[in-house]
Parts: sequence; C-alpha cells; structure tokens
Amino acid sequence: MKKTLSLFLTLALALSFLLLPAPAVQAEESEVDKIIAEAQGMSLEELAKKAIEESNGATFYGVGNSSRGKTALPLFVEYLQTIDPSYKMDFEWQQPKNNKIFDQLTADSLKKTGTFTMTLIQDGNQIQSKMVEPGILKTFIPKDWADANETTAEEYKGFLPLQTLNKVFMYNTTGEKKYMNCWDFVAEGEHGLYMDIDSEIVGKNFLYMLTREDYSTWLKEAFDELSDEQKAYIQPTIDEMAGETDALGLEEVSKYGLAWIKLWVESYNPVTDDGPICNTLVDKSATDQFGLLVYSKLRSVEESDSVSRNNVQVAAYNDGYKGIGGYGYKHYLFVTKNSPLPWTACAFIAYMTCTKDGFSAWGKDMGGYSANPVVAKETEEEYQHAKGGYEGDENVYDVMNDRGYDWWVDQGKLVLEDPEYCASVAFTVGSWIELLDKYSGK
Amino acid sequence: MNQEYAAPISVFRVRLNKLKTFFSLPHNVILVLMSVILTITTVLPIVAIVQDTFKIHQGTIDQFLTKKTSGYTLVNYVDLFTSRLAKTNLWIPLANTLLLAVGTCVVALLFGGIVAFLITRTNLACKRYISSIFIFPYIMPQWTLAVVWQNLFNSNAVTGTSNGLLASLFGLQMPAWWCRGLFPSVMVLGLHYAPFAFTLIGSIFRNMDANLEEAATILDTPRWKILTRITLPMVRPAILSTILLVFGSAMGSYPVPHYLNFTTLATKYVTMNSKYTGEASILAVIMMAFGVSIMIVNQSALKSRKNYTTVSGKSGQISKINLGKVGRHVVAWILIFLTFFVSLFPIVSFAFETFLPNPGDYSFLYTGNTKNLTLKWWMTNENITENGMYGQQGILYNDTIWRAFVGTMVVSVACALLAGSIGTIVGYAVSKRRRTRLANYVNNMAFLPYLMPSIAVGAALFVLFSNERINLFNTFTLLIIAGTIKYIPFASRNVLNSMLQISPEIEESAMIHNISWFKRMGRIIIPLQKNSIISGYMLPFMTCLRELSLFMLLCVQGFILSTTLDYFDEMGLYAFSSGINLILIVTLLITNTVVNVLTGASLDKTAGD
Repeated sequence: MKKTLSLFLTLALALSFLLLPAPAVQAEESEVDKIIAEAQGMSLEELAKKAIEESNGATFYGVGNSSRGKTALPLFVEYLQTIDPSYKMDFEWQQPKNNKIFDQLTADSLKKTGTFTMTLIQDGNQIQSKMVEPGILKTFIPKDWADANETTAEEYKGFLPLQTLNKVFMYNTTGEKKYMNCWDFVAEGEHGLYMDIDSEIVGKNFLYMLTREDYSTWLKEAFDELSDEQKAYIQPTIDEMAGETDALGLEEVSKYGLAWIKLWVESYNPVTDDGPICNTLVDKSATDQFGLLVYSKLRSVEESDSVSRNNVQVAAYNDGYKGIGGYGYKHYLFVTKNSPLPWTACAFIAYMTCTKDGFSAWGKDMGGYSANPVVAKETEEEYQHAKGGYEGDENVYDVMNDRGYDWWVDQGKLVLEDPEYCASVAFTVGSWIELLDKYSGK
Repeated sequence: MNQEYAAPISVFRVRLNKLKTFFSLPHNVILVLMSVILTITTVLPIVAIVQDTFKIHQGTIDQFLTKKTSGYTLVNYVDLFTSRLAKTNLWIPLANTLLLAVGTCVVALLFGGIVAFLITRTNLACKRYISSIFIFPYIMPQWTLAVVWQNLFNSNAVTGTSNGLLASLFGLQMPAWWCRGLFPSVMVLGLHYAPFAFTLIGSIFRNMDANLEEAATILDTPRWKILTRITLPMVRPAILSTILLVFGSAMGSYPVPHYLNFTTLATKYVTMNSKYTGEASILAVIMMAFGVSIMIVNQSALKSRKNYTTVSGKSGQISKINLGKVGRHVVAWILIFLTFFVSLFPIVSFAFETFLPNPGDYSFLYTGNTKNLTLKWWMTNENITENGMYGQQGILYNDTIWRAFVGTMVVSVACALLAGSIGTIVGYAVSKRRRTRLANYVNNMAFLPYLMPSIAVGAALFVLFSNERINLFNTFTLLIIAGTIKYIPFASRNVLNSMLQISPEIEESAMIHNISWFKRMGRIIIPLQKNSIISGYMLPFMTCLRELSLFMLLCVQGFILSTTLDYFDEMGLYAFSSGINLILIVTLLITNTVVNVLTGASLDKTAGD
C-alpha cells in the first residue's frame, strides 16, 4: 500500500508540472479589437458587405441566454441575401442552462480561434467580473445604435444592451385571491413560483437590487399601505433585519429590502425555468398560485379546456396595486475575443439592435423592450403590444395588453438591474442570502 | 577471477530470463501496459482538480477575499471549512450525499437482488417478460423517473405546483417528504440502479454450481440456512461489486436530487461553481476522496475474501426453489405490477406527453375532447416561437435533436468498444495474476474512476482539458476519453467476477496441449463467459446513451442527446424531452435485439434465463 501511495504521489507531482498555466502573454490589441474599432464607424450596410465577404458558406455558432437568437439568425441571413442573393450561411444557436454560459465562454476563450462568434448574455454582474475584465468578451457599439441614443461609441460607457426584459408578478385568477401589494407575495402561507436563484443568478440580482436605497424605499412605502393585521406578520422580520443592515454596509431603510428577501427566499417554490412556471399558472388547477416570471412567456400558451391566458393576471395591472411590480434586466450583446467571424458578429449585432426586423425575434411579443428608441417605436407601431390581447376590436386577453416600458418603469415600479450595484453586494448580501433556509415544501 | 567476472553476467542473464518468462505470458504484458495507461488517465484528472482548489478564479469568492485576480491561495479551503456558510455549503450536503448513497444501495440491492434470485433460482412464472422489463429503468435516464415521480405525486396543496395525476384524478395529496427530498431521491435512484444489482447478482446466481446447495439439501439443511450459509456467501463478490458501483454512482448523481429538491455535494457543486469555483472543486475532491476510500475498503475486502469458484466445469445443474402452483403466479403478478410503474408507465406517459397542447396539460383526460391533443411537437417544420415551440422544429424535423442523436451514437459506440475491450482484458489479466501487487494495482486504477462520482470526474476532466495547452472542450475526443475512463470498470468488474468463477484447470488443460492464447480466449474463455463479456460492452453503451452527470460539464447542450434532453426538461418543454426518451429507449431495444440475434446474448439474459 505504501509503495502504491508513493508511486501515486510521485506521478501526481510530475504530472502537476504539466498543468501549470502557460506563461502570460502581454495584452495587446487583437485582430478582433481592431475589427471592432473599425466596425464602430460603419453603417449596417457596410458591415453587411464585410460579413458577406467573411462568412459566405461558413457556419455561425452563437450562444446566448435567449432561445430567440435562433429565430433572429435566419432573418439576418435573409437580410444579407438582399445584398448578395448567392450568400449562404449555416448557423447553430446554443442556449445553455444553469449559468453554464460563463463556463462555456471561458473554455472557448482559451482556444486560439473560438467556436462562438458572438453572444447574447444576461447578468451584468458576472459579465463584468468574469467576461469583460478578463477580456473574454468585447463590446461593439454599432454606429446607428449610438446615433439613435444620441451618443458615440467613444462616449458610451457600458455594455451594449439589446433589450430590457421584465419578470412580473403574475397570479392565477380561478380563485378569489387578489394580490394588491408586493408584500402580499411574502405573506404568511404564500409560496410563489420562481426560478431557483442558484441556477439563474440574474434572479439573485433582483434580490440584491431590493437592498438599494431607492428600491427599499419603494418597499417601505408599500409596507406602510398594509393593514395592521398584515403588518403584524412582517414587522418582526423587518425589526430583525435592522441589525443586519450595518453588518452588510447598507442604508437603514434597506431593512425593508432585507426583510422582503428573507421572507421570499424562505417561501418561494424553486422551478427550473420560467416556462414551467407559466404552464402551471395558466392551468385552472393552479388556483391562488402566483409566480415571478418573464412576461413574454405568456405568448407560448395554447388555449385548451384546462389552460387559458385568462386564468392569470399581472398583479401590477390591478387598479390600486402598491409596490414593486416586477424586475427588469437586460440582454447584452458581445463579440468573443477569439471570434472566428468578427465582421459577421458585428453585422449581426448591428442588425438586431438597429432594425425592426432584426429585433422582431423578440419584438413581436410583449415584454421585451429594445434599447434602441427608434427600433422600440417602430416595433410598437408594427406589433401594437398595447393591444396584444385584442382579437379585432374585442379585448379577449387583457393580460396580454402590454403597458409598455415607460409605464412599467414609472407606474409598474419595475426594479431595474444595475450591474455595478449587484457586483458591489454580491459577496456581502449574496452570502447573507445563502445563509437563509430555502423553502423545501410543506 | 573468472567467477567474479562471470557472476554479474549470470545475474543479468537470470534477470533477463525472468523478464522474458514474465513477458511471455500475455496477461503480464497486459498488466504492465495497463498499469502505465491507467495511472495516467486516473491520476492526471485528480491532480488537475486538486490544483484548481488552490487557484484564484476571476469573479469569484477567492478573488473577493484575496483581492487578487490570479495566482494560488489556501483561501478556498479556509472559507469552505470555517465560514458561516460551512454548514450550508459543506456539512449538510455531505451528510445528505452519504444518506443518499447508502439508501440507494439498500433499495437497489433489495429490489434487484430479490428479483434476480426469483428469476434464476425459483420456478417463477413470466420470467422472460419480467427480466426483460426489469432493465427498463436502467435504460432510461435516471431523472426521467424523477420527472414521473413529480407528475404522479405533486399537488397544489403540498408542493405548490399544479396537481399531479394522483391529486387530479383521486384528490390524493402525498406528504412533502414523499414528494421531495431524501425519500424520493433514494427510491428513484434505487429503482434506477436495481437492474444493475439484478444483472450482476443474477449473473452469479445463473452460473452458480449447485453441488454445495444440493449437498446441503441432501443433509436436510433448512432453506434459510442454505441461503445464509451457502447462497449469499457465494454471491457476496457480486453484492460487494454492486455496492461499490452503486454507491459511487449515487454519490455523483446530479439530476435526480436536483429535480427532487435534495441538496447533495453534486447539486452543491453545480450551484457553487459560478461564485465559489475553487470551493466547488474542493467538493469534487471530497467526492473523489470517497472514491479512494471505497477502493481501500474494497481492497481489504479482497484480501480477506476466499475463493468463490462457482463454475467448475463439473456441474451445470441448478436447483430451483418451488414457489408453489399459486405462489409462482402471485409473485409474478406482484412483480409485473411493480415493474409496470417503473418501466412501462414512464414510457406511456412520455408518449402521451408528446401529444399535449401545453406541457402537463391533461385536458384530454378530463374532457375526452381530441381538440386537446396536438401533433405540433412532432410535425412542425418551421421556425416559430408561438404555441410554445420556442423556435424549435417538431421532433421529426428537429436538426438539434437528430444531430445530438448522431453525437450520442458516436460517443456511445466508441466508449463501449474501448471500455469493453480494455475492461475485458484487464478483468482477464487481473484474474490470472490475482493477489499479486501488479494485478491489484491495475485493478484498482481501472476501478477508481468509477468509484469517483461522475460529476467530480467530469469537473476534473473539464479543468484538465480546457486550458491554453490542450483544449478539447465540446469535442467527441473528450467525451470518449471521459466515457472510456469511467466505464472500464463495467467490463473489468463484470469479467473479473466471471473469470474468478472459472476453474484455472480449464485453461491449464488447454495450455498443456500447447493451445495458443488467442485460441484459448476465442474457444474457451470468451464462449464460457460470453454473457458477462457482452454485458461488459452493453453496459457502457447503455450508460453512455443517457449519461448526463459525467458529460454535462464537457460539452454544450446540443452535442449529445442527454444534454439536449436535460435542456428541454429544464425549459419545461416536456414534449421534446419525452420524445428524446422514446428515441433512447427504442435505440436501446433495437441494439439489445440485434446483439441478441447476432450473439445469442443480451443484457437481460445476463441475469435471466
């Protein structure tokens, strides 16, 4: 046994030498950086011509947090074919789950030439620390997008957003229960359906944001509207949290955010994706159930004897609803540092962010709002999401009538993700959240 | 002077001759070669993952605590073992993992062992059907039973989801401990691995020399005494093998505890990996340490183990217990009822799921209205996002699914051939030089990867093969390497168990007649243990087809079917995942039939008769 062990250890030592990282290479402007710098001064049509030269007959591998990249790609190919009818490009789009996108992009970045051409990615917090700081992802700002936002590529600081998505509180209406205040979702006996915060970290970012002073103030204002009976259940938790704010370096009012988080984490029912949450809520058997899920999931529902979009309501649409109505987070677009088709990546990004057709993969459904004001306006004109629940002149599915981005931010009290704030509390508030006992069934 | 000069030459010659003699035996050549290869394939991943525990990972807790973006540190160990999160991140998952692994072994052994005994040693009715249907849970990906469990027992009142079948049809609300956590995880994994126990134990039962039992019967020994003093000791090596294999597999299972909300080291590894990457690697190392410990236990068990020659070439008779005219049918029907729920019901429910308009929408069952059924999950041949298709084409037209199917076949066939062949010759060589240090070493090195939880091996191989020097991430090469390393023990243990049953006299008599090694293998050894050897190829093939924990970190979702299936399950697109399950099951059944027709052996025949 001793001999076996010593042989094992000797080999381990020898082999560990092989695993030492390769010597660091002095950072310098890569070919992709140069192409991005040049591309930022070009129009979409100019970029399209470069893309045609580069990728005619090639295969485009994209990876993203949205499945709709797969829908946008054939539209992009069609667009390029309007310039060169002989143009052909195969494509494959991956949508990894469980935060794996960061591992995949990191692993791919170690190759000389990567597999992935570009990415559509969420969670600004991890993007900053794991992708942008190590130089794995590169930001490209299309000229047309910058013009529409009255800025320039040089002036603009931050990542390039494709859109803001909203996760909203929705509940099943087949019973009598009505949710009129955001504290109702953490009231005694409530168990909302929510994507597990350990598998979708962007869900944890929502909780981080609640501790920011302005959003905690919203929660305080909503709390003040509750009846004494309702307050009686929540108040002890708020008092308990008063002691935590100092330790976590937060403002005093953040005790409302912490209390909401504690009650939520200890009560929510974890689900693997927003799709199953939606499927559950629209079923008539899910009486009095509610969830926090991506609004646009409602588009996927097919009416049947058990299932209907009229079985659900968006809480914030109730007259007199108080407090936060949901959470807004962004999808960002990046070129990979070792992109095999950098010009095509830039052209595709420009196409999605600067044209109504390019954004249509997301724009044709409610709940996704383009970060390009021109595209956002054109999209609403074309698809009229404000009347998305109408069939002819009849308002058949009121829940489908999207009130729009401005309404959600002002009246719907959408909590908006701030990557910097999330990063600053990820290991303080984040670790505190991990100490909480998660709900595991009645 | 002459003597002084001659002495070293004679020593050299003696050594050379010894060496020549040593290498003239094929099993010695195999052992030496394998000792080198298996050491590298086993040690290197361990070194890689251990090294990762000391590394600073950008954007994670170690960067936050050390304020550095690269380099090496002990902070991951300090934080994991001493921080406020130690209980949450380490001790509770560790305790849960052990409970899960032990519970799974118990369920698998009891269920699989009893059925194997009934099939091989009694006059049970419907043996052929039961032994064929019994392996179904092992054919299916392990988490599909977890999904079926949820669909059956979830209820609005208890789990806060929409009602499952029992709640919908009968208003039956099972308690929370039944629906989520340790109990369902143990049951699902136990049922999944029961065919494993069934195959290994059944194989021994089937080949067992009945002389001892017959002698005991003649001496009027009570049945229970024969069972405990003769039968069970004879199958002890198979029971031990089953425990060793199932324990490691259950420990490293990710999908079942994940779906059934049970926190284990494997699920914790995945959840911690984004923010606590180095600490997650420590969890992987801990899982591996358990693998090494199990190997040491196995080693000491081997030392104390007596010879269990069960195939002597002198008796082919097996005495069968008479269950009685009624008993043989009653027991058979109980088994048929049980196996229906774990074998056929999932398949029926998968097929049904592919015709539902929305995932989990059972309107048709309540209303009988055929408008509540659809063919869209099969027939859609355009890229649309409406009606829940999420841009996916129907199963028949879905490139992602069919490309993944080809990928799975490539990986499974390659792994089966490599692992099966290597495992068979390792098993043979070890059996020939049993109790020597070299044989023990090779046996342990071949076996160790299997004892290491899949997710830990996957994590180690990911770290090892995703760097600046070698980058095999998302390639068939990496998956085949991983699968081969992991599944060699399927063949080696199977073959070793069988070879130990063959009396050395059989091969020795052939050697006396100067029959070559290849001929001895081809004409005597392989035909004698054909079923075990073929299951040594079939088990890696089958396991590879639906392996997730091992491969999930090594490739992207559409690369092989299991990762694609998991993706659709996570997304809640159960029609697609159910369709993939059906494809997998049909593939397995066709393969098993083809092997059966060509060779006369099949997986269920390994145990059944």
